[in-house]
Amino acid sequence: MPRVFITGLGFITSIGNDAARVTSSLRELRHGFMLYPPFQDPSIPVKVAAPVRDFVMDSTDCEDWTIPPPYTIKREILRGMSPNVVYAWCAMLQAVADARLADADISNVSTGLYAASGGSPYFMGQLMHRMHTMGVMRCSPLGIVASIAGTVQFNLVAHFKIKGSSCGFASACASSSHALGYAFDDIALGRQKRMFVVGAEDGNVDAILPFAGMRALSLQTDPGLASRPFDVARDGFVGTGGGVVLVLESEAEVARRGVTPYCEVLGWGQASDGHNVAISHPEGHGLRAAMEHALRATHLAPEAVDYVNAHATSTPIGDASEARALKAVFGAAGARPAISSTKSLTGHGLSLAGAMESSFCALAIRDGFTPGSAHISRLDPECAGLNIIRTSLPTGPTIVMNNASGFGGANVALVFKQAR
Amino acid sequence: MPEAVQPHVGSSKPFVFPAKPFAPEDEAALREALKRCSPSTFEAAVQFRKTGNPEHLPAVVIGVIERFVEPDLRVKLKDADDDLRLIEDLGIDSLTMMEIVILVEDVLQMSINNDELRNLRTVGDVKTFIDCKVRGLELPKPTKFLPIEQIAAIMPIQPPFLFLNEASVSSSGANGKYKITGQEFFLQGHFKDNPVMPASIMLEALGQLAVLFLLEGASTEPGKVISPTTIFFTGCEGVRAHRMCRPGDILTLSIKPKRMKMPLATFEGSIRVGQEKAAIAEEITLTFGFAEAPSQPVPAKDSAAVVNGSNGAHSPTPLRAAVSSP
Repeated sequence: MPRVFITGLGFITSIGNDAARVTSSLRELRHGFMLYPPFQDPSIPVKVAAPVRDFVMDSTDCEDWTIPPPYTIKREILRGMSPNVVYAWCAMLQAVADARLADADISNVSTGLYAASGGSPYFMGQLMHRMHTMGVMRCSPLGIVASIAGTVQFNLVAHFKIKGSSCGFASACASSSHALGYAFDDIALGRQKRMFVVGAEDGNVDAILPFAGMRALSLQTDPGLASRPFDVARDGFVGTGGGVVLVLESEAEVARRGVTPYCEVLGWGQASDGHNVAISHPEGHGLRAAMEHALRATHLAPEAVDYVNAHATSTPIGDASEARALKAVFGAAGARPAISSTKSLTGHGLSLAGAMESSFCALAIRDGFTPGSAHISRLDPECAGLNIIRTSLPTGPTIVMNNASGFGGANVALVFKQAR
Repeated sequence: MPEAVQPHVGSSKPFVFPAKPFAPEDEAALREALKRCSPSTFEAAVQFRKTGNPEHLPAVVIGVIERFVEPDLRVKLKDADDDLRLIEDLGIDSLTMMEIVILVEDVLQMSINNDELRNLRTVGDVKTFIDCKVRGLELPKPTKFLPIEQIAAIMPIQPPFLFLNEASVSSSGANGKYKITGQEFFLQGHFKDNPVMPASIMLEALGQLAVLFLLEGASTEPGKVISPTTIFFTGCEGVRAHRMCRPGDILTLSIKPKRMKMPLATFEGSIRVGQEKAAIAEEITLTFGFAEAPSQPVPAKDSAAVVNGSNGAHSPTPLRAAVSSP
């Protein structure tokens, strides 16, 4: 089976709009939270969010948008996009440059793209409003394309002239981890030589606020306290958006192009809770099974893993459930990998989360550091026995596991290894 | 324009001018809708909405088109003649055409259905279309674009004496282009060591375009078809040459019918090279006759051909939805 490597990354995130800024934020535990202006209305109970900086896209008219340099997107392309696609587009340009891909490397039948985003609730809402108030014939001809889930791959595949596999993944907060897993499979099975994996979310009012209805968001008013996974006082997640792109390539392509990869993708596993539509299994059964499948698929013992980037979003139930799953997989075997949730810095990126956090893992492996779990003042007793690191370590991991869990009890664990 | 050269196909519901007067909130909505258009576009739209006077329509329509054209192409629209093509010259694709239509509908308070738009290919087509909609007139026959192969297939005149490389024919006239190659046989002697396109041949080229109009654009009595073998030159007046034309020059030819009554058709014609006037003819008159056996009416065949062309073979139409799946 061909080995699979990560050769390029691109970031538009709440903690930085390029790899250098993201790396320093992770090393220095610099978070991306703020009192989000649209939430300061007294009728909105949530105050903190982690918006992407420098982009202004709070209108459905793309000609009103501010997109920071060096990015420029022509109107005829922009009109089919919603904010999450713009983030993905910019991250895609970074990843292409980072992997040093020529046009011919991008546009061929052996190069595909898998994407995950929740679409644009904001755009869809405005489109429906316009349809009902002004009539359907007054709606933008590209309203659907710009707003439904799938909009990321519609746009990127068309404009980057992708000719290989393409589709979108919809398992909520596990979506882009699924995308990465299946992209790995496509290369490992010899179907594709190269895959782009894209995660993106609007991260604006309409994307984040509905989670307040299910009581999943933190009501904290202090941006430095709102997202604190594994802390006993955690009270919900903080929403974020952005776009992240990874370039996966086969061993042969890495050798042919003479590029130095970030790390190897060793394999992955997934399993489902079969329990509740929105709440994770209290014992973390599905996530535990996903991690065990991933270890089995990569022929690794639990003690081989030296860092776990946890899914932990800072919700009371979810983090406890993951802690139990981690204890079952690693504690039982006497393994004590470093564990952290980088959502303590970024907030929870929903469909973006898996791709974003896997990219953080790739940065950590290549640059030799281990990102810490910020904002823990009192560790939840449920985490006793787990090596949850509260500061970033100056040494890098060799083998990393990245967890993701989505609605419906979908769980994915991805495994990365230092490239040699 | 004389009724005889005003053929109509298609249909159009008359524009119903709103009974409700133009209110301040309408003006605010109009300003918002046209916020990315030039101030003169907005002014023209206000005037039209207040008075219903169709004279304001071209400014509105051109202003809306301009707003959707890439900035570097907008200069073309500044001194556009009606033959400026939406797709080829302005880069307007089917989706942009829909955006234009949605805004025009909104601003002019009319509704346009997709079928009516299929044949709009030039700025002139769009202006005429909107004008007919507002006045409640029948829609004109669409402009046809003819490459050299089709021109040669239709014309009684053949190479090496055919001086049209491409042409467009509408109900209101015809336009064509001819590039002087330098290989024309008569340039060997006109003049000695100094090839200049003879003015008589330039007049001939205009006459050929008029022949093409008679065969492809002119309307005739139902069931009657003009025979290519019956068309001949009878006379011309007010011919002036303004510029010497040499190999490498591209002649832009234009004719418009002035009068047409069996067996005579009179046209005015002009030739430009780029923006420079090269020659004009105030009147060129041809004689024509009908084919002996009445044949099938031409329009049905023509419109079918245009629709087929729109399926992607060689003649893109502005309004093909790019939607590949529901």
